[in-house]
Amino acid sequence: MQIAEITNQGLRRAYSLVIPAEAIAARVETRLAEVSKTIRMPGFRPGKVPANLVKKMHGAALRGEALQDALNDGVNQVISSNGLRPATQPQVDVDGELPDDGDARFTVSLEILPTIDDVKIDDLALEKLVVPADDAAMDAALARLAESAQRTEPAPAKHKAKTGDTVVIDYEGTVDGVKFDGGTGEGMRVKIGSGQLIPGFEDQLVGAKANEQRTILVTFPEDYGAANLAGKPAEFAITVQAVEVPAETKIDDEFAKGFGLDSLDALKEILKDQLDAELGGLSRTHLKRKLLDTLASRHDFDVPVSMVDAEFDQIWQTLEAEAAREADPAAAKAEIEAEREDYRRIAVRRVRLGLLLSEIGQRGGVTVSQAEMNRLIGQEAARYAPAEQQKVVKFFQENAMAAMQLRAPLYEDKVVDYLIGKAAITERAVTREELEAAIASEDESPAGHVHGPDCEHDHDHAPAKPAKKAAAKKAKAEEPAAEAAAEPVKKAPAKKAAAKKADAEPAAEAEAPAKPKKATKKSA
Amino acid sequence: MANIDIKHYDVVVKPVITEKSTLVSEFNQVVFQVAKDATKPQIKAAVEALYGVKVLAVNTMVAKGKTKRWRGQEYRRSDVKKAVVTVADGDRIDVTTSI
Repeated sequence: MQIAEITNQGLRRAYSLVIPAEAIAARVETRLAEVSKTIRMPGFRPGKVPANLVKKMHGAALRGEALQDALNDGVNQVISSNGLRPATQPQVDVDGELPDDGDARFTVSLEILPTIDDVKIDDLALEKLVVPADDAAMDAALARLAESAQRTEPAPAKHKAKTGDTVVIDYEGTVDGVKFDGGTGEGMRVKIGSGQLIPGFEDQLVGAKANEQRTILVTFPEDYGAANLAGKPAEFAITVQAVEVPAETKIDDEFAKGFGLDSLDALKEILKDQLDAELGGLSRTHLKRKLLDTLASRHDFDVPVSMVDAEFDQIWQTLEAEAAREADPAAAKAEIEAEREDYRRIAVRRVRLGLLLSEIGQRGGVTVSQAEMNRLIGQEAARYAPAEQQKVVKFFQENAMAAMQLRAPLYEDKVVDYLIGKAAITERAVTREELEAAIASEDESPAGHVHGPDCEHDHDHAPAKPAKKAAAKKAKAEEPAAEAAAEPVKKAPAKKAAAKKADAEPAAEAEAPAKPKKATKKSA
Repeated sequence: MANIDIKHYDVVVKPVITEKSTLVSEFNQVVFQVAKDATKPQIKAAVEALYGVKVLAVNTMVAKGKTKRWRGQEYRRSDVKKAVVTVADGDRIDVTTSI
C-alpha cells in the first residue's frame, strides 16, 4: 500500500492511496477460503463446493468486499501513520475507474482536528448569581395554585351575574338567520371577565339570572379563526341554566388534600423543591454561559470548515423551518438571510467551544463511566414501549455512533462541572428577574432577532439547558395535571378544561413515557 | 464449431453440476443431462459440435423419477437421462460457462 501526501493546507489533508493488485488478490483468496466453508449450493453438501466454483459464482462480490476492506485499512493506516485526528469522516474518491484487476487508486481527503496547545483554564473567575428561594415566591406559587384550583358554588336564585361569576348557558348562534358550525351548544361554562369568548359576549351576560333567556348581539372580530365568520354580526339565543359565584379558596391542609397530599406542609415542600430546582437550573445556565463566554474570549484557533458547515446547516435548517411558519415567510426569510454572517459566526463559536471542551475534558481526565453510560441508555430506553426496550438497549450497545451522541451531553456537563470546580466562584444574591434578564441579555444571537429556543443558546454544546428548561416546564405543567386528575368534573369551565388537558397531556406523556399512546406513536 | 446443428441443442439439455460430477471431472469426464430419447452417437456428435472437443466415450443412464405423494395421491417425477462423456486428453469443457 502506497501513501503519499498531496495537500497539507491549514487543517486540510489529502493523500493518494494505491492498493496494489497482489494485495487485493491476497485478500480475495483469504475471503474465498472463509466463504467456501460455509457456502451452500444445490448439488453440494454445505462447505463442499470447490473453490474455483465459488470464485466463479461470487468472485465479483468477493472482490468488492476485499477492496472495501483494503480501503478501510488504507484509510486507517493513513490516519494512524500520520498521527491525524480526523474531524470528520474522511472522504474517499476513486481515481479514474476501478479496474477489474490491477492496482486500485484512491484519493483520501479529510480535515483534522486542530491541536490546542495552551488551554487556559487556570485563574477562571466566575460570578454565580444565586436566587434565594424566599417565602414571597413560595406564597406566589401557592396563590397561583389556588387561583387555578378555584372552585365555584351555586349562587342564590335571584343573584344577578356580575364580572367574576361563572354562568352556565345553552346557546344557539346564528349569522344572518342561519345557524353555523360550532355555534350551538349546551351547558357551556362562561366565566365573565375571563375574555375567553368573542369580545362583547361576556359583557352582555352581566346581570343574567338563572333560567333567564336572552339574546346577545355580537360581531365576530376581523381576525377570527373561521374565515366565513370573521367580521360578521351574529345573534346568540341564550338560556341561562345557572349562575355560580366563585368560592373562596383557603390555603390549608384541606386544599393540599385536593392534590392527594397529607398536609399543607407537604405541598409546600414539593413547591419548594420545584422552585429550587428551577432557580438552580437558571443560575447554572447563567454560570455556564459565563464560563463559555470566558473560554471563547480566551481561545482562538482554526476550526475545521466541514464541522462549521455541518453546524451552520443545522442552525440554518431550524431557522428556515421557523421562518416558514411565520406569518410572512418571505420577509422572515429575508431577515435571516441578512443575518447569515452572524449565524455563521455562531456556528464557528459553537464548534470551537465544543472542541475546546472536549480537549479540556481529555486533559482533565474527565470520563464517562460504563455505569453512567448504562444509566443513560436505560433512560433512553425507558422512553420506548416495553417490548422495544431490549432492542433500544442493544442498538446503543452495538452502535458506537449513537452511543456517542448519547454520551456527549453528559460528558460536556461533566467537563463544565470540572471547570466550575476549578474556577474561583463568587456568589451574588439577585432576584429572579435580574437573573432571567442576565441570561436573556447574554444571548449569543445577533441583536434584534427573536427566534425560538434553538437560537437562544448553544443547543449542541449546551444540551443541558434545554433539558433543564423542559424540566422546569414539566414542573409547571404538572400542576394543572394534578388538578385535572383531582377534580375533573366538578369544576373548570369547558374551555378551560380543554386548555388544561392540552397542558396536562404533554406533561403526562413526559412523566409516563411507557404509556400506550406514546408507545404506539413510537412504534408506528 | 462450424457444424452446429439446431438439433444439438435439443440433445444436450444442461450440464450436471454436483459434487459427484466435479469428482469425475478428474478423469476427463463431464456429466450432462440429455434428452430422454437421445442416443449415444447423437450425444457424442452434439458434444463434439457444441464444445469443440473430441469425445472418446459416452455412458448413459436413466435416473427414474421418484414416486411422491401429494394429498394422498401418488405421482411420479419425470425420469432424467444423464450422459457421462469422456473427452480426449487435453480437451476441456468448462461447464460453468453456459452455452
